[in-house]
Amino acid sequence: MNFRSASVSKTTQPRSGRSKNEMTPLDQQKLLMTRRQFFGRSATGIGAAALASILNQDLFGANSAVRNDAMPLTGFPNFAPKAKRIIYLMQSGAPSHIDLFDYKPGLEKYRGEEIPASVTLGQRLTTMTGKQAKKGVLPSIAKFSQHGKNGTWISDFLPHTASIVNDICIVKSMFTEAINHAPAVTFFLTGGEMPGRPSMGSWLSYGLGSANENLPAFVVMTSRDEEGSCGQIFYDYYWGSGFLPSKYQGVKFRGEGDPVLYLSNPAGMSTKVRRGILDDLAQLNEIKHKEMCDPEIATRISQYEMAYRMQASVPELSDLSTEPESTFEMYGPESKRPGTFARNCVLARRLAEKGVRFIHLLHSGWDQHKNLPTQLKNQCVDTDQPSAALVKDLKQRGLLDDTLVIWGGEFGRTTFCQGDPTAKEFGRDHHPRAFSLWIAGGGIKPGISFGETDDYAHNVVRDPVHVHDLQATILRQMGIDHTKLTFKFQGRHFRLTDVHGEVVKGILA
Amino acid sequence: MNANKHESERGNIRADSRSFADKTLSGIFVVLLALAFSAHAETEIQFNRDVRPILSDKCFFCHGPDKSKRKADLRLDHQETALGKSESGKIAIVPGKPEASEVVARITAADEDLMPPVKSGRVLSQKEIQTLTQWIKQGAKWETHWSFQTPQRPALPKIKNGGWPKNEIDHFILAKLESEKLKSSPEAAKETLIRRITLDLTGLPPTTDEVDNFLKDKSTNAYEKVVDRLLASPRYGERMVLEWLDAARYADSNGYQGDRVRTMWPWRDWVIDALNKNMPFDQFTIEQLAGDLLPNATTAQKIATGFNRNHMLNGEGGRIPEESRVDYVFDRTETTAAVWLGVTLGCARCHDHKYDPFTQKEYYQVSAFFNNVPEVGGVDNDAMANPVLELPTEKQTKDIAKLKEAITALEAKIKYEKSVAGTNINEEKVVLAAASTAAPAPKKKKAKKQQADAAAEEAAPLTENQKLEKEQEKTRKALTTAENSVLKTMIMAERTEPRETFILAVGSYEKPGEKVAPGVPASLNSFSKNVPTNRLEFAKWIVDPGNPLIARVTVNRYWQQFFGVGLVKTSEDFGQQGEWPVHKDLLDWLATEFVRSGWNVKAMHKLIMMSATYQQSSQSTPELNERDPENRLFARGARFRLPSAILRDQALAISGLLKEKIGGPPVKPYQPPGIWEDMSLGKVSYKQDTGENIYRRSLYIFWKRTIGPTMFFDTSARQVCTVRLPRTNTPLHSLLTLNETGHVEAARALAERVMLESESTKPEEKIKHAFRLATARSPKAEELNILKTGFARLISEFKNDKEAATQLVSVGDKPRDPKLDVVELAAYTGVANLILNLDEVLNKE
Repeated sequence: MNFRSASVSKTTQPRSGRSKNEMTPLDQQKLLMTRRQFFGRSATGIGAAALASILNQDLFGANSAVRNDAMPLTGFPNFAPKAKRIIYLMQSGAPSHIDLFDYKPGLEKYRGEEIPASVTLGQRLTTMTGKQAKKGVLPSIAKFSQHGKNGTWISDFLPHTASIVNDICIVKSMFTEAINHAPAVTFFLTGGEMPGRPSMGSWLSYGLGSANENLPAFVVMTSRDEEGSCGQIFYDYYWGSGFLPSKYQGVKFRGEGDPVLYLSNPAGMSTKVRRGILDDLAQLNEIKHKEMCDPEIATRISQYEMAYRMQASVPELSDLSTEPESTFEMYGPESKRPGTFARNCVLARRLAEKGVRFIHLLHSGWDQHKNLPTQLKNQCVDTDQPSAALVKDLKQRGLLDDTLVIWGGEFGRTTFCQGDPTAKEFGRDHHPRAFSLWIAGGGIKPGISFGETDDYAHNVVRDPVHVHDLQATILRQMGIDHTKLTFKFQGRHFRLTDVHGEVVKGILA
Repeated sequence: MNANKHESERGNIRADSRSFADKTLSGIFVVLLALAFSAHAETEIQFNRDVRPILSDKCFFCHGPDKSKRKADLRLDHQETALGKSESGKIAIVPGKPEASEVVARITAADEDLMPPVKSGRVLSQKEIQTLTQWIKQGAKWETHWSFQTPQRPALPKIKNGGWPKNEIDHFILAKLESEKLKSSPEAAKETLIRRITLDLTGLPPTTDEVDNFLKDKSTNAYEKVVDRLLASPRYGERMVLEWLDAARYADSNGYQGDRVRTMWPWRDWVIDALNKNMPFDQFTIEQLAGDLLPNATTAQKIATGFNRNHMLNGEGGRIPEESRVDYVFDRTETTAAVWLGVTLGCARCHDHKYDPFTQKEYYQVSAFFNNVPEVGGVDNDAMANPVLELPTEKQTKDIAKLKEAITALEAKIKYEKSVAGTNINEEKVVLAAASTAAPAPKKKKAKKQQADAAAEEAAPLTENQKLEKEQEKTRKALTTAENSVLKTMIMAERTEPRETFILAVGSYEKPGEKVAPGVPASLNSFSKNVPTNRLEFAKWIVDPGNPLIARVTVNRYWQQFFGVGLVKTSEDFGQQGEWPVHKDLLDWLATEFVRSGWNVKAMHKLIMMSATYQQSSQSTPELNERDPENRLFARGARFRLPSAILRDQALAISGLLKEKIGGPPVKPYQPPGIWEDMSLGKVSYKQDTGENIYRRSLYIFWKRTIGPTMFFDTSARQVCTVRLPRTNTPLHSLLTLNETGHVEAARALAERVMLESESTKPEEKIKHAFRLATARSPKAEELNILKTGFARLISEFKNDKEAATQLVSVGDKPRDPKLDVVELAAYTGVANLILNLDEVLNKE
């Protein structure tokens, strides 16, 4: 995880540091000021010797880890960013594009028929339907109607999303490579199917540093459908830092217990007692620092201070008692219940206000192989209102312009029916060749649909957007040339987009 | 941090070179070239050290081993092609004549001819251009990549300060320091030394008695005696296994969706045992890679092969088994290459390696050795995948044998009864017998049958035969239960009919191409002639003294473990993109010494411990931080934060809570509620152990792959092979060691311990005792003062809030000693919590 540490706040010095000779007196003054502000904030302060020494460390230790931690890499951002932060509303399990966004009224005439081989082109199927004898077309189970200034067709399952259609860009021409959930989610978030590469939020923390000195740069929150209807679980490597240092990994805010693991002092230890212990600890560590001259000790002193500040800032952030009732009305009744997607959307807005750079929500419950008739609607109820409310809320607070909001799953679902469409239960299988998602804010053209699929919503026929293209576009909006944000590991310069990716110019405002 | 620094250095180079590449500044080139020909004329450029890294990083992508990506048919990784005429008729490199070499023209071009091309994102720095030019001027001498040449034992370098070295290692270190005009550091204090070696060799801190004995021992070999004692301790294996578990991606569950529980811990215990017995590293290797193929393989040798069954198993619904099976073969191939060869063979899975001399075909040839396991790709033996080895206890073996005997005996009796009583069976009973063996009957019939049974029994008591059949059924069930309770572990085995191996296009199981035979990369030592090309011979090939990599890679990992950074920093990559070792001669000397000693691991560890280099004080100076921030020259001892698993063990040991017991099933200590539920849709709950299991060493803690133990940080995810871990410094770590239940309980237990153990009633003495238990030294007056004042403050704070004091001293399962005053205990607990978080305690110093 990446924190903007105290020693760097309000300075703009690049990470790969200048030597002491290059630091202007003004820089030094800024650092001193910041340090004093920072220590002034702690309850009883810290020994003067410790203070002086840490300052000294920062000014004269060219290799101080303290200064380097939270700064952007040299040369980053590469150009003026359109977005300052990202809220990624990952819909894990794969929402059906056919029933939600990709309106194909013509499918009705093919109902029950096999999709022609000229369309399926020998598509790879999972073992769940690979051997299913009949794969008849199943048109959308939901009605569609037109909304917004461009008359965009949206499923009636998503009335709230329909109400923000003028603010979002619906990409109907997404396609990906994996056909199973975990590899596909991993591909979306890390650019590779196998675990081990850094997640998008880690890349951004690594490249751009942190913008808040009390909170992590990359925060993750998860939720699932109440029914637990599908088996999608969230692996922690989804927000892992891969081969990047682990300080860039996402910090998971939890729905129960401590919002951040081990945040609370043990039972019986008051804040005052803790503060006293930390002050003594800082003094003792400072003695050690003077003796050993190890810059890591200075870092450790400041990280303990950061921990202390997080003990106040994180609970304050997750305490929604200060939110007016109108917030909960906007995000829906579930927003009062910890651990729900709706609640996480409210928290996402609060984190965005605090300058957290990458706010990553993952919600599972979209894997409707068998329970499409019931569960799809349930999922829409769970996510539709809060997602739309978040966009509206950001907009009314003037945050939407520089916040990139992304809503979507890891692939789409088949046009053909999985199981028997006349039975009580049936559904759709995984479909990587075409699917839809929406993006809002952050310099993306609002109110448009982009790309097109064939009559069967099976293949992309216009403006295809590969996952790596989407990633390149996201980085671009954050001011990063995706080919330049690299990290050398195992002899190779890795990047989020692997060796691919083209910015999708057609959706840029 | 290290990697970070590396990147920022690169960032600098880039920034420099970007402005340099600016066409308007082309005049500078002239100056630069002049510089290259004059100022650096004296330094001899070495191809491997100076030139190859540049070519590899900046040129090989298009002009390297991968034929599919090669541009202009130019190869710069081969001398012949680089010196020959290119497509355009120009010569890339003319030895001795930079001005005639097309390479120099192109890397200094100010227009679109510039190499590397701007759009490639690769830029040469001015220093790199100088180096290349200078090298060509000096004759453009080529060398095989250093790590692919068998190491030759170098002579000890000449040094000035002959009094310093304690063994050969120090000659190499000192020679470099002297050439860099740096001085070595004095020997560390005895307290520091004993804590350092005890942590390094056993993963636990020394006891106060051990410290006292060492301080008292004035003999010249006092230190060596401690080293020998620690090497002989069974704790040694428990410490040394840690890195091996990461490398072997060991875990107690399968990973992926479902993440079911497996039992691979017999393999883990095999490793601890092998390390404690000081099994030679070549044998250690052969048994883990191919123990099953050794003549008359023992059970232990079969268990050892679990190394390559430790990979994840995918049980996700809809998963195509063959796709998974191929993944497992890849995993074994790449893990084996990373651990024993230190190369990134995985890069050649989809195409020829971009930098190193490994073709895609060779990748699949190596993989063929691991492609012959009788496995299906799914999960087919409870939660595990065949082949599986059953490990019954002696009692289980006896019980099972007895049950089997009993069944056989019953069968014989039944047969006999039937033969003599057959004529007496009446019609009704035949019907009943048929009903009892029939497929499950509908409910109605069942009820009827029960009635019939009851009626039959009432009417006529069971015949002898029916009694026997009932008995037999019961015994069968008992046998099934007994057999299911037998411990199982996954092992390697060979199919009798070898599976064919094909080159898979882009690594896809669906796209087999050319069929390949098992084999090894041509760039490494050759495979023995006249032996079968099987996994056992492959293992022997790995440990052949002619293998240029294994010994270097292994001793480098030991160095990394003890010094925090390897002699080759990129311990996972000894290829052309890896780091040129700062001390190549030392690395080669250690590698040849390792082979010469008969792959004696403990001797190698002792050699390192006995060096003056290792025994230096880790105190640094601002100048030294500036000169050598990462301590790559070893002008001071290593100082770095202990791995989180050891931090927990240390806290348990200092507090006296530690329960020592080698091996066995994994344990489940404290973990906040809801962690597993979060990761399993609420379906799997963590059931915490009670009693001594909470206080076992970290290495025994249950490792669930989808969510690893939460009390650790900077660990491997245990999903794929990891040979180098990050070492970071974040507030989350601080929160953990301050607040995690286990760490808080350890503080409380440490408080109780010093309250009970100190003879003096003075708080000062108790605090000193706690400090010494944690650091092996006594606090300085200044330090003691802070702690004493802090203690007094804590006393007054807890006096005002006894309720809070009671809460604090009740954290953890261990009952508190009711004789101790709650306020006092709470105050000492606060002090102990502080002491356990001291930077000095968190670090190896």
